This record gives sequence, structure tokens and C-alpha cells, in this order.
Amino acid sequence: MFYRLAGVHHTRYQSARRLWPVPADRWQVLFLLALAVVAPFFLSNLYLGSYLLPWLIWSAAALSLTLLMGTAGQLHFGFAAVMAIGAYSSIHLVRFGVPFEIALVGAGVTAAVIGSLFGMAALRVKGLYLVMATLAMQYLVDWVIINVPAISGGAQATLRTPTVSFLLVPVDSLVSRYYLALIWVVLVTLFFLNVKRTSFGRALVAIRDKDFAAAVIGVDPFRTKLVAFFTSSFMGGVSGAILAFAYYRAVTPEQFSFNVSIQLVAMVLVGGLGSAVGGFLGAGFVLLIPIFLTNLVAWLAGAGWIAISANLIAHVPLMIYGALIIGFLLFEPLGLAKIYDNIRKYFLVWPFRHSRS
Amino acid sequence: MNRYKNGLMAASLAAAMATAGSAAAQEDAIKFGLLQDFTAVYTFVSGEYNQGQRDYLTLVNEEGGLDGTMIEAIVRDHGNEPQRGIEAYNRAKEEGAVLFDFFSTPVSRALVDSVLEDEVVLITALHGRGDASDGETFPYVFPMMATYWSQATVLANHIEENEGGLEGKKIALVHIDSPFGREPLPVLEALAEEEDFELRNFPYPSPGNEQSATWTEVRHFRPDHVFIWGAGGGQPVSVREAIRNGISPEDIYSVVWLAETDAENVGADTMAGVKRFEATASGTDTPILQRIQEKVIDADLGAGDAANVGTSYYNVGVASMAVAVEAARLALESEGAPLTGPKLKAGFEMISDFDAEGLMPPITITASDHQGGGAGRVSQWNGERWEPVSDWTAAYQDVVQVEIEEGAEAFRQGN
Amino acid sequence: MYYFAELVINGALTGLMYSLVALGFVLIYKSSGVPNLAAGALVMIGAYMVWLLSSYGLPLFVSILLGLAIMFGLGLLIERLLLRRMVGQPIIMVVMLTLGLEILLRGLGPGLLGAAPKPLDLGIGLAPIIVGDIFINRSYLIGGALALLMIGAALLFFRTRLGTKLRAVSDDHVSSWAVGISVERAIGVSWGLAGIAAVAAGVLWGSVQGVDWTLSMLLFPAIAVVILGGIDSILGVLVGGLIVGMLGSIIPGYVDQIVGGGTRDVVTSLIILITIMVRPYGIFGREDIERI
Repeated sequence: MFYRLAGVHHTRYQSARRLWPVPADRWQVLFLLALAVVAPFFLSNLYLGSYLLPWLIWSAAALSLTLLMGTAGQLHFGFAAVMAIGAYSSIHLVRFGVPFEIALVGAGVTAAVIGSLFGMAALRVKGLYLVMATLAMQYLVDWVIINVPAISGGAQATLRTPTVSFLLVPVDSLVSRYYLALIWVVLVTLFFLNVKRTSFGRALVAIRDKDFAAAVIGVDPFRTKLVAFFTSSFMGGVSGAILAFAYYRAVTPEQFSFNVSIQLVAMVLVGGLGSAVGGFLGAGFVLLIPIFLTNLVAWLAGAGWIAISANLIAHVPLMIYGALIIGFLLFEPLGLAKIYDNIRKYFLVWPFRHSRS
Repeated sequence: MNRYKNGLMAASLAAAMATAGSAAAQEDAIKFGLLQDFTAVYTFVSGEYNQGQRDYLTLVNEEGGLDGTMIEAIVRDHGNEPQRGIEAYNRAKEEGAVLFDFFSTPVSRALVDSVLEDEVVLITALHGRGDASDGETFPYVFPMMATYWSQATVLANHIEENEGGLEGKKIALVHIDSPFGREPLPVLEALAEEEDFELRNFPYPSPGNEQSATWTEVRHFRPDHVFIWGAGGGQPVSVREAIRNGISPEDIYSVVWLAETDAENVGADTMAGVKRFEATASGTDTPILQRIQEKVIDADLGAGDAANVGTSYYNVGVASMAVAVEAARLALESEGAPLTGPKLKAGFEMISDFDAEGLMPPITITASDHQGGGAGRVSQWNGERWEPVSDWTAAYQDVVQVEIEEGAEAFRQGN
Repeated sequence: MYYFAELVINGALTGLMYSLVALGFVLIYKSSGVPNLAAGALVMIGAYMVWLLSSYGLPLFVSILLGLAIMFGLGLLIERLLLRRMVGQPIIMVVMLTLGLEILLRGLGPGLLGAAPKPLDLGIGLAPIIVGDIFINRSYLIGGALALLMIGAALLFFRTRLGTKLRAVSDDHVSSWAVGISVERAIGVSWGLAGIAAVAAGVLWGSVQGVDWTLSMLLFPAIAVVILGGIDSILGVLVGGLIVGMLGSIIPGYVDQIVGGGTRDVVTSLIILITIMVRPYGIFGREDIERI
């Protein structure tokens, strides 16, 4: 009963090509999805609103970036700016009287159009230069948001999200905001998992591996790269809008600063480039580890186990967080997804030693 | 979606931690959530500020608390990141905190709505939205001290009264290029109209470690007085550049964020003559500071380096907690234990003519005015310490009120 | 006219001080192809180190000398412990590693030594040097001169025996091994030298703005300098620094009042973008020809 591959014999291509060919995996996914759906009923507001909800939204953002960085191999250090464009345009659209559902799409399209401009740099350069170019664009977008009061919302530079309803359900309580985020992250995940099985996804992978070689076999690098930026920015823009409406409920320029771009890249890399599991694990790691460490260190200090100055207590989580990132890159460059995969493979054949998946 | 497993483990671990943490704490203590930024933008102030807050709370507890009820501080770092601030806020709220101090404009802004919904008190001394002075619109937010608008008017008033009047003068506002830096602009523009002086603003890019081009412009404007509006590392650079460009230190006026560390940085003698707005007295001459020295520092209960006691930011921290504890005392007296958010709010609005034994200007907080009058004074660096050169006073509050109402109106409209 | 001249001169001098930060970046990139985004944090650590030593009562120049030695060692250590393990990894991993290093250093420095800004007085004095109606910033003048000196020294260094080895290594790792050059040691030395440049930059900038974590934000203008000058060119650091400094001073000097906002970061961003779109390898950089 433990041997999870028992009785799994694919006799048709159709069954072998399913998203999760092993029934145990399928059950696991369904179980976790069910858990996520009923989470509001057993999690307190603290864990639902400050842990699970931001984690889901950031996972969606990380997956959007993974599509670009992991699948298409285009580096992007300005993704927070893309999300900012989505967040600001969704709010302005809703205030203009556009229904929320359409505003979300509008936010995505605005972000995608401007995000494709970021992609123009990718048509010319790659690697480190692309990092620098997107970084510069992040600064430009930040500057425009801060310096145009019509965008940022006047003297206080704060825009509060109006109350909206999504598919006739008002999004006002924590639970409804949570379900909005859950719907979006499920959509993003399904898209991400399936895109690699389409010709577009395979074109992206070809571009990642070698764009010249891809051109030789008939993949248009120009078009593919732009579409990659467009798609990823669309998803990022909607994620930014969801972040604004479902989590922050008020947007300020600092919420989408350069640091956030770095955090998003860290999510993608620590999670493991190019995998869906990695997007979730990486987002959880980068988002929750600093919070977790802060509480842990404060608790240890409060219990009198570490006697150090208040200043040092505040900085210890930062040090550990930095060291963890370094540690992952040094010892497991393939990220948390790889660690998860190792564990999964081990248990897949447990109690036997040999691996087959 | 194979991924929740890991998170649930982390969450349950964190939950275990949280329960362990709160079990250790006293059940009946009043809890204040001092969730601040110790590692990012506000490091220049948060260390000393928080030390002052905790030392004052220790003093209150050493003196027997509020009729035996102790006050406990929950101190966490949120690194100026809204998502960490939100987590820390929700956690502290579950632990029963009734008062919050984030000391970070982005985090305060992100949480204003939650605070209003949850009916707990948020104090935003010297940061955050100035329009929160409107108690009708922001019932649970208390700026308590002079907003940036009031600071600008107090400084302008000092020129009007002691430096030969504002009329016909040229005033340069040199500020960091951020919403905070631009905040005094509308008030000063209104004053320029009213008092007939020429105002020009000169932004420099954040974080302000290099401002030479900006000051070349300022010099060519030939201002009579210069207001510098920045914080942290940008401030000493501003003072140096001003002096270097031939502006006399006496003509430099600073926002509240200019302290002893900056003077040391510029050179204590070089900076002599520079004036700043102050919301609280600096030094250890006031009775509260004397008692902290005696009962907290000498008893080795201090929260940090004893050398910081009496610095400007330390005293701001002490004053902020003095007002909060006074509000808690009034609330307990008139409404009875246990202290809740609405009771504490009522306590704040009962504060009248409270000056923390001379540490700060007498403030009176009412249901409509949460700023407490907007008073402050101008002090001057004399080479060793800050010396007051004016009395506690509030000025041009009519102009400030226009801004407050405008901001509050925008908030009601949904901004 | 004087206004313009003053903007140019002070801009050029600050630009030179940015090139000091950029110098460390280029030294490392030239030898090992590693883009060190922790360059700003190294500058901060260098400044903290000198402040720490001088707070023990050591005379300033002694603490600077000691600081140079310590930071040289720290550079070697970072290379040995972290970067050497990353050889052969994709560039994005290396970039992220240096960013992780930046977070770590930003925790270590302010955490252990105190987050409040520390003074670092070089005794330069505030009185400007006045030529006609032009006020020249004395500490920037000294900083700029020192930066020139360091860049000159770096250029000369590449003519020495060790420097020749470094040049060989930057040309081709495998051929360098083949002729008996220790590539590892050469890359290590370049990290050590970057540590030295970081101390120089840290002391100069620290004396201007005080020592705290914001010193690590010097990375952004330094990146503009590097991209414009050419990512592997010492001469490019000099020229790039001058151009970035001057444009970052002149354009805001005339445009800020019209726009009503500080435009220097915009200028810096645009320099990066335009350079990358027009001539990615910068003014003096080496154009890579990619093989399929």
C-alpha cells in the first residue's frame, strides 16, 4: 500500500501525458487544493490573512516571472514595476467606473503592453545586460509613479482600493479576498503547467536553450521573446492588481520598489528555475522566512536564551536570510523544487531503494 | 499544488511558537505593539526612539504601573516592508495589543484601514499622514505631535517674529524627492501668498548622499533662509553643502529630523547656529528624564546604550509613550479595566494640557483634533547641544487646517 | 556661464567618486566575469571597518591602512568561500549570490556595529575653493583626485608582472592555465583589490554622508558608470564616471525646476538604457562574439 507506483502502467499515450501521471500525485494535489479551499474554516485570521493570502498572491507573481525567467530564459529585474503598473491601472480603471472583472483584464493588458517595452531590451541583449536594462526601467517606472500625482494619488501618494464585487460577489471580507486570490493562483498555476505542453511553450524553451539555434529550426526569436514578455507581464499585472485589491487594499509606491523586484527574483531562484512547485516554495521562502525568523529571534530573546542588543536582534534575521540565500545557491542551485523532487522520488519507490519516476 | 504541505508545517511551527510566546506573557498587562523598522530606511531614528519608548515603559512599570497594571511592549522589526508590517500587526493584535506604533510611513499607510476597522489605536508621531489630525475621519489614528505642516509653519513663524519678518524674503525649500519631502510645500506656498515672500523648492534625489548640483542651484537663487527637509544620511549632507555654498548656519532651518548624530557627522563646531524644529526638549534636564536616569538606567534596566539617554530621538520616544500612558491612565480611570481600543481612544481624547512634565509642549487632544494643537519650538545647535530659541508655540494653524481638511476629504472620497 | 561651469566641475568630481565604487566592480568582472552586485555593500563594510578601527583611538591613516589590509583579506575570503564554488553556474545564479551576499553584509555591518549613522571625519574642512564665481567642493576635489590616483594605479598595475597575469586570465582562463598561471590566485587578487577600492570609496563617501547602510546604495550610479564605460575596462571607469557625473549634474541643474522633481536617477537610468540599446559593451568594453 505504500509503494505508490504499484499498479501504474500506462497503456495509452493519453494517460502517460497527463499532468500528473502517478495517481498518488494527483490525489496529493487534489488534497492540497481541498485544504486550500477549506482553509478559511480552520485557519485563524492571522494565518489566513498574513501568511496564506500573501503567499498565494506572491506565488502567482513568482510563477508569472518564472514563465519568463525559467521557461523563456529572459532575466527580469524590474518585475515589481510591472506589477505596479497592473495595480495602479486596475485601481484607476475601477475608479473610472469600469467593472472589476474588466479592470483586472485591463490592468493585465496595460502591464503587458508596457512590459513588452521592457522586452525590447531583450531583443538586443541578454544575460547581465538584460538584468541592468530591466533594472534601469524599474527606476524609470518608479520615478514616473512618484512624480505624477495623477497616478500616485496626490500629496499622500496613497490610493485606497474601492470596494468591488467579483462575479457578483462583493470582495469585502477577508474570506472573499482570500478566495479571489485562490482563484487567480489556481488559474495561473494551470496555465503555467500547461503552457509547456503547447507549441508556444516549447518555442520558449528553445529560445532559452539557444536563441540562434531556435531561429535555425524555425522559431522566430523576435516574436517569441516579445510574446513571452507580453504573457508574463499580463500575469504579473493581474497579480499586482490582485495584490492591491485582495491584500494591501491601498497602494503606495514603496510597495513595488526595486527591493520587491529583487525579492521576486529570489523567489524564482530559491524555488528553482522553471518549475511550478518552485514558484510556490520560493515565494513561501522569501516571503515568510524573514517573518518567521523575526518572530523566532524575538521569542528566543524574550525567553532570555540569547542576550544581545536590540539592534542586533533586529538584524540577525537579515543575516540569516542572506546566508540562507547564499547557502541555497551554493549547495542546491536547483532550488527548493529540486529538494522537493528528491524527497518525492525517494518516497515514490519507498520502501525500495531504486528510483523510477 | 503539492506545495502547501511545507507551509502548513511552517505555520504550525509558528503557531506553536506564538502560543508559547503569549503563555509566557502576563495575561492582564496592557500591551503596546511597537512594530518598527530597525533594519532599513528608518534606522537613523528607530534605535534611539524605540529605546526611549521602552525605557519610559520600564519606568512606569518600576513605579508600580497604572494602579498595578503593567505595560508590556511588543517590539518587532518589519524592515519597512508592508507585508511584514501587516503580519506583525495581526500577530500583536492577537496577543492583545491595543496601541500600535509602526514608525514607518508605508506601513502606517498600508494599515490605516485595518486599524480603523479593528478599533485599535495607531499613533503616528512625526510620521505618516498629516491629515490624520482630523479625528472625525480618522477616529483611531493619533499624530499626537506637530505634523510636518505644523513644523513648517512654526519655522516660518520664527522667521516672521525673530528674523525680521517674512515679507520680501527669499526662502528655499531643499527637500528629498519623495512625498515626505514635498509635504510642507502646499503649506509654505499658502504662506508665501499670505505673507508675501518668495518660495522656491529644490528637490534632490533619494537617498541624498550627493546633492552638489542642487545646492549650486540654491546658491544662485540667493535665498535669505533655507529650509532643509530630509532625513537620515541626507541631512548632514544638506547642512554641509549649505555651509559650503556660503549660507550662514543661522539661516538654515531643518525639519525635526536633525539630531546629535548629524551634528557629530557634520562636525559639532561647524554646525553651530543651525536651527531646527523640535517637538520635544532634548537633554536630561526634565523630571521624567531624571527619573529614567535614576530608576531605569542606574538600576541597569535600560533597553540600550546609556549614552543615548537624552538625545533628541530618545526623548521623542519617551514623549510618545508618556502621552500614550497618560491616555491609558485616563481611560482606565473613567472607563475601567480592561483596556480596549475604544476606551484608549476615549482616553486620548481626554488629554488636555499635558506636557509630560515639561518634556513637550502642552497638548490637548480632542475628538476632532488629533494633532494636539501642533505646537513645537525652534532650537539651535550651539556646538554642544540643542538650545531652545523660542517658546512652545503653534502658528498659522488655519493654513494647516486647510491641508488637513483637504487630505481628510480625499480620504473620505477613497484616497 | 559660471553656473554651467560649476555644475560641470562638481559633477565631474562626484563622477570620479562614483568611479571609485565602479572600479571594484570592473576589477572583478574583468578577471572572472562575475558581476559583483555586492560592490555597494563592500563599500559600506569598508567604511564601517575604518570607523571601527578609528573608534579604538587609532590615528585615521593607520586605521585606513589597516582597513585596506582587512578588506583585501575579506575580498580574498569571499572569492575563496563563495564565488569559486559558483564557477560554471549560469550568470543569474552568480548575480543572485552577490545579492544574497549584499543582504548578509547589510545585516552584519549595521547589526554588529550599530545602525545609527557614524561620523567619519577626514579633516578636509568645508570652505569651498573659489575660482571666479565657481565654488568647488573641497572634499569632492580630494575624492576626485584620489579616484584618479587609484584608477591610474590600477592602469599601471596591469603593466606589472602580476597585472600581466591578470590580463591573461581575463583573456582566457584555459590558456592561462596552460601557460602555468594560477587562475584561482589571479581572481582572488582581483577580489582583494576590489576590497581596497571599496575602502577608498567607503572612506570618501562615509566622510561626506556618514557611515550607515545607505552607502550600499552607491551601487546604482556605479552600475551606470560601468555600463557606460564598458564593463571590463579600467579606462572606461574613468571616462564613464566623468560622463555620468557631469550629465547627472548638468541635466538636473536645468531640468529639475521645470519638471518639479529630482531627475538625476532618471538621467542615470537613461544612461544605462541608452548605452545598452545602442552599444551594450560600452565605450571601451570588449565586444563579445557569441558562438553557437
